[in-house]
Amino acid sequence: MAAIEKNHDYHMVEPSPWPFVMSAAVLVMMVGAVFFMKQWTPWLFFIGLAGVIYTFYAWWADVVKEANDGVSHTPVVQMHHRYGMILFIASEVMFFVAWFWAYFDGFFRFDDVEQYARVAFTGGHWPPAGIELFDPFHLPLFNTLILLTSGTTVTWAHHALLENDRQGLRWGLALTVALGVLFSYVQFLEYTHAGFSFSGNLYGATFFMATGFHGFHVIIGTIFLLVCLIRAERGDFTPQRHLGFEFAAWYWHFVDVVWLFLFASIYVWGSWGVATH
Amino acid sequence: MVTGQFVRKLGAAATAMLALMPAFASAQEIGKGHPEPGQFHLQQSVTPIMDSIVAFHDGPLMWTITLIVLFVLALLIVIVLRFNAKANPVPARFTHNTLIEVIWTVLPIVVLIIIAIPSFGVLSDQLTVPDGERKFLGANIFSFGEVEVPAASLTIKASGEQWYWNYEYVDEGVAFDSNILGSAVDSYHQTIKPNQPRLLAVDNELIVPVDTTVRMQVTSSPSGVIHAFAVPSFGIKIDAVPGRLNETWFNSRETGLFYGQCSELCGKDHAFMPIAVRVVTAEEYQAFITAFKESRDYASAVAVLPAIQ
Amino acid sequence: MSEAAHLEAHATGHDHAAHDHHTPTGWRRWVLSTNHKDIGIMYLVFSIVAGIVGGLLSGFMRMELQEPGIQIFHGLASMVYGISDPSGSIDAGKQMFNVFTTAHALIMVFFMVMPATMGGFANYFAPLMVGAPDTAFPRINNIAFWLLPVAFILLLMSLFFEGASGTTGFGGGWTVYPPLSTVGHPGPAMDFAILSLHVAGVSSILGAINLITTILNMRAPGMTIHKMPLFAWSVLVTAFLLLLALPVLAGAITMLLTDRNFGTTFFAPEGGGDPVLFQHLFWFFGHPEVYIMILPGFGIVSHIVSTFSRKPIFGYMAMAYAMVAIGFVGFVVWAHHMYTTGMSLDVQRYFVAATMVIAVPTGVKIFSWIATMWGGSITFRLPMLWAIGFIFLFTVGGVTGVVLANAGADRALHDTYYVVAHFHYVLSLGAVFSIFAGWYYWYPKMFGYMYNELLGKLHFWTMFVGVNLIFFPQHFLGLAGMPRRYIDYPDAFTLWNRVSSIGYYVTFVAMLIFFYATWEASRKKRPAGDNPWGDGATTLEWTLSSPPPFHQFSTLPKIDSTNAH
Ligand code: HEA
Ligand code: HEA
Ligand code: CUA
Ligand SMILES: [Cu+2]
Repeated sequence: MAAIEKNHDYHMVEPSPWPFVMSAAVLVMMVGAVFFMKQWTPWLFFIGLAGVIYTFYAWWADVVKEANDGVSHTPVVQMHHRYGMILFIASEVMFFVAWFWAYFDGFFRFDDVEQYARVAFTGGHWPPAGIELFDPFHLPLFNTLILLTSGTTVTWAHHALLENDRQGLRWGLALTVALGVLFSYVQFLEYTHAGFSFSGNLYGATFFMATGFHGFHVIIGTIFLLVCLIRAERGDFTPQRHLGFEFAAWYWHFVDVVWLFLFASIYVWGSWGVATH
Repeated sequence: MVTGQFVRKLGAAATAMLALMPAFASAQEIGKGHPEPGQFHLQQSVTPIMDSIVAFHDGPLMWTITLIVLFVLALLIVIVLRFNAKANPVPARFTHNTLIEVIWTVLPIVVLIIIAIPSFGVLSDQLTVPDGERKFLGANIFSFGEVEVPAASLTIKASGEQWYWNYEYVDEGVAFDSNILGSAVDSYHQTIKPNQPRLLAVDNELIVPVDTTVRMQVTSSPSGVIHAFAVPSFGIKIDAVPGRLNETWFNSRETGLFYGQCSELCGKDHAFMPIAVRVVTAEEYQAFITAFKESRDYASAVAVLPAIQ
Repeated sequence: MSEAAHLEAHATGHDHAAHDHHTPTGWRRWVLSTNHKDIGIMYLVFSIVAGIVGGLLSGFMRMELQEPGIQIFHGLASMVYGISDPSGSIDAGKQMFNVFTTAHALIMVFFMVMPATMGGFANYFAPLMVGAPDTAFPRINNIAFWLLPVAFILLLMSLFFEGASGTTGFGGGWTVYPPLSTVGHPGPAMDFAILSLHVAGVSSILGAINLITTILNMRAPGMTIHKMPLFAWSVLVTAFLLLLALPVLAGAITMLLTDRNFGTTFFAPEGGGDPVLFQHLFWFFGHPEVYIMILPGFGIVSHIVSTFSRKPIFGYMAMAYAMVAIGFVGFVVWAHHMYTTGMSLDVQRYFVAATMVIAVPTGVKIFSWIATMWGGSITFRLPMLWAIGFIFLFTVGGVTGVVLANAGADRALHDTYYVVAHFHYVLSLGAVFSIFAGWYYWYPKMFGYMYNELLGKLHFWTMFVGVNLIFFPQHFLGLAGMPRRYIDYPDAFTLWNRVSSIGYYVTFVAMLIFFYATWEASRKKRPAGDNPWGDGATTLEWTLSSPPPFHQFSTLPKIDSTNAH
């Protein structure tokens, strides 16, 4: 709208209410989280959460609008978005580093003599005494295959999009979303069969928090892909311009790779030579 | 071996030189086992480990950092005097000088290596419990070890509690608690034992024999928090971590009372859980520990020792 | 840059101010802002407010430590919490002192230094210096700012909720070590503090993504990465440190949160956990964090030194890559904060060696600044005083860091006031001096007015004397063995504590002068002109009006092959 004649391709973004509204919602949500955890009331948290989710929706709706207006997202701006997404994923990788670190601390140092409490707890072996591990080649392997397959379906969707094959795009995306949901469901099934609990032991803590945060990312990624599916149905995305789709795919691959690390290190390596169920 | 001898002499000479540390650091007379008013220097050493820390700090470390700071300061002063706009109206335009850049990269590396050599020695000594064979550096940090230290013959386990210490004579199977003298609440205006400093004095001192290598095992109550066991004049400081058994050692060459303080934040009375180690002669120690084992009562056992002056 | 580009940029700048009728006004301009300069100003204001709060908290601490015994905190506690029985108020006071120490540190680190450097100056000047019209993600820029007051409110709330059983606030130090931060403080105060750090962390990560993208992808035509001004370099490196270090902190404090509230045992020994694991995670973030706090200062000082010497930066490439090296090595030295935790000899040796390596690239920076001034024609204007003060005082703080890097010596000094002295020399006399240097250097650019140089110099000298008086004697206390985080100390430590507290009062006066000088400048409205510093000031921000137009560089400046930095 602004009548500024600009001689460059950057997107001069109009003032927006969403950052401030989002921050306010975050404040409510965080205060609510404490109230929730201290068992005073859950409501404040959920009100804040609703605000956060709504603001995400409204903010990104603006972004989608700009993506579709044909002028805002010039090639250089698209490049910004690529940088932004890669950097965001890099920070996510570092977040997982923390959880892997915690896991490997137990894994490698289960019989560290100075740590008498830990040795007493683990019984001098890994996994700790009394912990029954998952058979990695059962549900976990199945889930690995699901994710790998979903990696191919999302690539199929991408190729279809590049060739302007809208049916292929639709089915590729839909399948990927379905596989994502299936993964989450299988993961949930697996959790209900766990031979150890979340609380009271280091194994359960590292296992559930690492795989749990991964699962959370799967859900986010699934929603991201679902949004792309909806946008595709609405006719968004062209063979030349479909950054939103690409980012969903990147994110999905990132989630996939994290899983491969989880699978290889926690499920397979972690249960090497150990009886499982 | 000739070269060994030579290096050793060189080392001794270097240490002697470095012992002429920046004059201000040594100018102060300081008491043993506790800080003195206005003190600006490390506490007096009574162990080979603290000897090496003092020599290392007052020697290579103080020298290098003092000289570096003075050097930078001198350059800045020259700049202020010579290159102010009045004195030098036309600025030079140079932006590179490979030689000088190489020098100021390589020279610090050399300095750091010179620091690292004694540093690694001092560190290794601290983390190696004597076996009776190995020689320790002591004050001559450029030697290959020249101080004999007997193998550890007494093991004490210190456990940090909120907010006091529990000491156990591991081989004797006896233990006692050591609290700040007076209740922590009014310790800022309480009565104390004669001649014992406020906030350092405890009701029950840890009693160990002189010239004996004491192995300290340090931990904290399993459901507690982290504390740290530290006695400056022994040169020891080690965290008391719940679930962990850490180890260090000391060998005091002097009798007397040596104080330390909890050195890891542990809650509201962190400042009020001092450490007091009373080093006595071997005979006194024997008398004490025998009485303690018999009576299991610290107060009556300690009564066999001469009163603290 | 070339004369032509200079004129061109200048012209478009002014042009713009005249033609721009669409500048948002009133509260919408600020609250809904998508303008990097406005957001930068909001960050700076926020930083000053936080600096006042953090500075006052340290004032109470220094007043308490002025004499042995407990002087004021029992009174403060009984006033604030309404406790009448004396021994109860003393206990509450002891906790309160630790709460103040913790809050002081968190506020200074997360809400004063980081918002000033990476929020304020980086936001305002990095785009200007690379010739960009704004940052890459203006809305993200805005939320990165607004999350900070949210985090600050959460931290302040933490002060008023139960911490350790029966006490108020979290008093476990800014390092939030468990078990003191888990079983030691079961109340909600710690949960508020954790969530405050989460929010502050998200804010910084978003800010970092925005700044990296801006610097990598929005440089003006001809501004290759090796022509980029050093401040932009410092911001780039710092942003990467933020991006990679903060998520690890987020993970660590999330573990604290679940240990506290959901029964996990990451750090609980009875469930196989290890409190020391937290320390590794914390310092893997914490050490890069200290370089996050100083690197932008390095950038600022580089510009000031060059400007007032009327001489280009000496060894530009070495300066840039020294920062990159510091950033890299900064990630592999973390356990030098943990020499007394019981790590093995080999591990300690490694961390000694790795830590000392950092002195080399830092030395390159110090000597290159000196070489930049060498042969210069220096005017000792106010920013230059702060910059020279920085170079000297940072060196003092840096070399004591090298002392601490030696595990053998750190045995005697760890957790004593020697460490407190070290890090205040690099922070309160390093980072803060660079912030004031930047403030006085860019004040005319940001606000268009000139401050009273004499008042500013008074501020500098008073503060110089004050902070040295506070922190130099703390080396003595540390050597003599005084532990940190102590509300009371043996009488032998009285002298240097008293000197230190007197130093605080001098610093307090300096801060009053600072506020007065700022107020005076805003009253007198002495126009500063586009470039008050003369031909030594060569970076792009000086080609614009003061303050720059709402949207600068509508026509991108072209950087030719002559030196741009
Ligand atoms: C801006 C912040 C900042 C900076 C830049 C630094 C810089 C350094 N720090 Fe510091 N440090 C802190 C902030 C900072 N630190 C904080 C906050 C803590 C305490 C945290 C807590 O526990 O609460 C801490 C604690 C701390 C410790 C732990 C102490 C302990 O708890 O026992 C150590 C140990 O190695 C250390 C070392 C160093 C080193 C080697 C540097 C180096 O980078 C310094 C390099 C600079 C120079 C050396 C000077 C210039 C160089 C020359 C002139 C060249 C020639 C020099 C030589 C050859 C030596 N620091
Ligand atoms: C950047 C960090 C920073 C800064 C600036 C300061 C500044 C000061 N600090 Fe602090 N301090 C810490 C970081 C900092 N500190 C940390 C990390 C700890 C460890 C905590 C722990 O143990 O957990 C600590 C601990 C600490 C202690 C030890 C407490 C203890 O162990 O019990 C003491 C005691 O004297 C102290 C005192 C002071 C004083 C008197 C100042 C004075 O210099 C204050 C004077 C005020 C200023 C210099 C601020 C001015 C700035 C502004 C007003 C903003 C300006 C902004 C713009 C212009 C944009 N601090
Ligand atoms: Cu115990 Cu501090
Ligand atoms: Cu560090």
